[in-house]
Amino acid sequence: MEEKIITKEDLLKLCDDIIAKGHTLLAPGIAEYVPVTNASQIQLDSSALPTKASYKSYVFPKAEPILYYKRSKNDVQLIDADVDGKKIIVLGAKPCDTNSINIMRHLFNWDYEDKFFDLRQKHFIIIGLMCNSFDDYCFCTSVGSSPVSEEGSDLFLIPLDEETFALRIVTEKGDEFIQQYSGFLKEGDETRSFAVIEKVKHPEKAFDSKQVHEWLGNNFESPKWDGIGNVCLSCAQCAFVCPVCHCFDIVDEDYSYSEGRRMKNWDGCQFGHFTLHASGHNPRDIQSKRYRQRVNHKFRYYVDKFGQILCTGCGRCSRGCPVSIDIKEIVANCKD
Amino acid sequence: MTQQKWEPKIVAFVCNWCTYAGADLAGTSRLKYPANTKIIRVMCSGGIDPVFILKAFERGADGVLVSGCHPNDCHYNAGNFHARRRWDLFHKLLDFVGIEKDRLQFSWISASEGKKFADVITKVTKDIMALGPFKAYQNMNSEFTIEFPELEAVALKEMLHEEEVSDGRA
Amino acid sequence: MEELRKYAKELLEKGEVAAVIGYQQVNERRTKPIIVTDPADATKLVFNEYCLNNLSVYFTRARIRSLMRTKDKPTKLAITAKPCDVHSIIALIQENQIQRNDVHIISFYCHGVVRDFGCEFSGDYLASKCITCETHKPLYYDKIFGEDKVTPQASDKSLAKIKELEKMSSKERFDYFKSEFDKCIKCYACRAVCPLCYCQRCITDKTIPRWIESSSHGRGNFAWNIVRAFHLSGRCTGCGECDRACPMDIPLSLINRRMAMEVKDLFSFVSGRSLETPTLVGSFDKKDNDEIFM
Repeated sequence: MEEKIITKEDLLKLCDDIIAKGHTLLAPGIAEYVPVTNASQIQLDSSALPTKASYKSYVFPKAEPILYYKRSKNDVQLIDADVDGKKIIVLGAKPCDTNSINIMRHLFNWDYEDKFFDLRQKHFIIIGLMCNSFDDYCFCTSVGSSPVSEEGSDLFLIPLDEETFALRIVTEKGDEFIQQYSGFLKEGDETRSFAVIEKVKHPEKAFDSKQVHEWLGNNFESPKWDGIGNVCLSCAQCAFVCPVCHCFDIVDEDYSYSEGRRMKNWDGCQFGHFTLHASGHNPRDIQSKRYRQRVNHKFRYYVDKFGQILCTGCGRCSRGCPVSIDIKEIVANCKD
Repeated sequence: MTQQKWEPKIVAFVCNWCTYAGADLAGTSRLKYPANTKIIRVMCSGGIDPVFILKAFERGADGVLVSGCHPNDCHYNAGNFHARRRWDLFHKLLDFVGIEKDRLQFSWISASEGKKFADVITKVTKDIMALGPFKAYQNMNSEFTIEFPELEAVALKEMLHEEEVSDGRA
Repeated sequence: MEELRKYAKELLEKGEVAAVIGYQQVNERRTKPIIVTDPADATKLVFNEYCLNNLSVYFTRARIRSLMRTKDKPTKLAITAKPCDVHSIIALIQENQIQRNDVHIISFYCHGVVRDFGCEFSGDYLASKCITCETHKPLYYDKIFGEDKVTPQASDKSLAKIKELEKMSSKERFDYFKSEFDKCIKCYACRAVCPLCYCQRCITDKTIPRWIESSSHGRGNFAWNIVRAFHLSGRCTGCGECDRACPMDIPLSLINRRMAMEVKDLFSFVSGRSLETPTLVGSFDKKDNDEIFM
């Protein structure tokens, strides 16, 4: 791990250069990560809470065409949709966001390689920023992450004081990227940044993920699910703001008599019709079964399959839930 | 190729019992009116769902006309009364979200009003002509549409032929 | 508060109601819904300025309604409702979604709630529906608690926005709504929290034919948001839950409010105010406005 020092002024100059080169620069805005057009808009605030939505939609868009079709008399013409391989730099990503692409990568490269996801994530540079605050809904420490986790970041920023940051080079991709800006960097030593990191307050660990995993395996029919199912209203807000929820629906849309496109759209497991079969049978017909699926998928199935918890502990789903269902509380309650 | 003059595409949803019969009368009386309107016959003006109109705009209609029996003349007694409240609200809603008022028009035309049918169609066509093409809605997701390469001339001809035949049957 | 808990406990113990749908404190500035079926849990019930949810939405859920039939004889459902939530209950009764006799309304004198959880209760953070609220005392109730207090003063920003939009040209308005609807991610939280969105199968979920494109691109979002607003015009009681639930902050209640204004102008009708009058779109008057028809 290499560590450099960069001043805030130089960092913003670097951002201006990224924008001038025509790359997309994302930074946390009021509600979501937004493309920045001018470096002066950037607020590098390590004490800000996670935005309402993550930058998931830039690597896995809410709606994207995967192919186009045109019918004629004897055949169907098919054209694969292209992915624009535009470079995207995320600046100031929260440690609870940085690992999201790594987590989703397992799924998108499991039995079929999703070229849309792969091409997009290849062009992603993630510059993480240490997090120095948490609220009642944060639980990154419970899912094996932390407010100072560098996992998933290519470069990682640690604010040393008002004007300077320590910049850690985490991956080769990050190294390659920052080399072109080596003029902005000064040599740093780790003692200062370690001192900052040590002072960071971590949210209290709410549950032990291994115990939760075991409990879920033994308590599929637990009556605990019923209580949650009564309150949940079956929207998919939680899934859509989640940085790692990745379910999608494939639909064909025609835009004229003979032409159309096949779309890949976000879908959410809390919708009643998510598992509705063509026969009319619905294996998850009531809300308690759907919520059980949500928790099991995140803390058991995904772990079994890919050895990774499908949750970053950002707490977005709970913060925004219209009926204030707190996933941390529910998972912490997954014990006898 | 010479630049063709733009002609508006208008969709008219008309009720089976009055306006459609009125349109028939206009035809049998050999009245002249612009040919821009494509008529879709439904059983009652009360049975026209507002999503029909959205769908028409989505597929490139420049204007929509909804027409039914005069109040008190509904074949089903009250269909048009129910429709009247609904359309009033829908018209106001579309206006508020920025679709010009004249894009969506309404009329009552009875079976005996062939002349009125011709007049209404002429007026609507004139209004839409003045407003110009309505592409804003249709093109809202143009980033997700692509141009297909030209088919070979022969195949294209075959396709057109097929469409003519099927149109004839319909 | 103690009175409320005692009352709820008695109702449950006597078996008069199968459940009490109420609020539970999460932290100092947040509450969440709770369905109390055990009299011992009645101590969790609260009512304060942070009770934002419109709980009448639970009447539209089959699993909650089925609670009424868990005992030997059919029982009622009790609900703690703000006066504005009572409007939604009235609308649901009018539309035959629930019977008046099945509901036990526990209501309160209300002097407003906050805009969102975590806000301090003051004029600056007052929910926009409370600014123009005229019903501080519920129109219908079976039991009422609390005392009449004064609502903090605040400026009506949403009305100002409506006036501003009305002054714009059609194209400007179209562009404004297009950019707002573009943010939509189709999580349908607006539909889920709305007490009046009770269709068993929503038109947007219908696939044969597919009327509303399910993709959340410009066109699909525009169609969904227009249809949602239209299906609620003349029915929306203005509880503002859709606004609060939207994770992308789309001003949904702006359109709802504007449509309610139109409805009031055209038909002198306000939704959910009286059990005696029929619903607006379920009835008609031979003398209705005929202006738009040629």
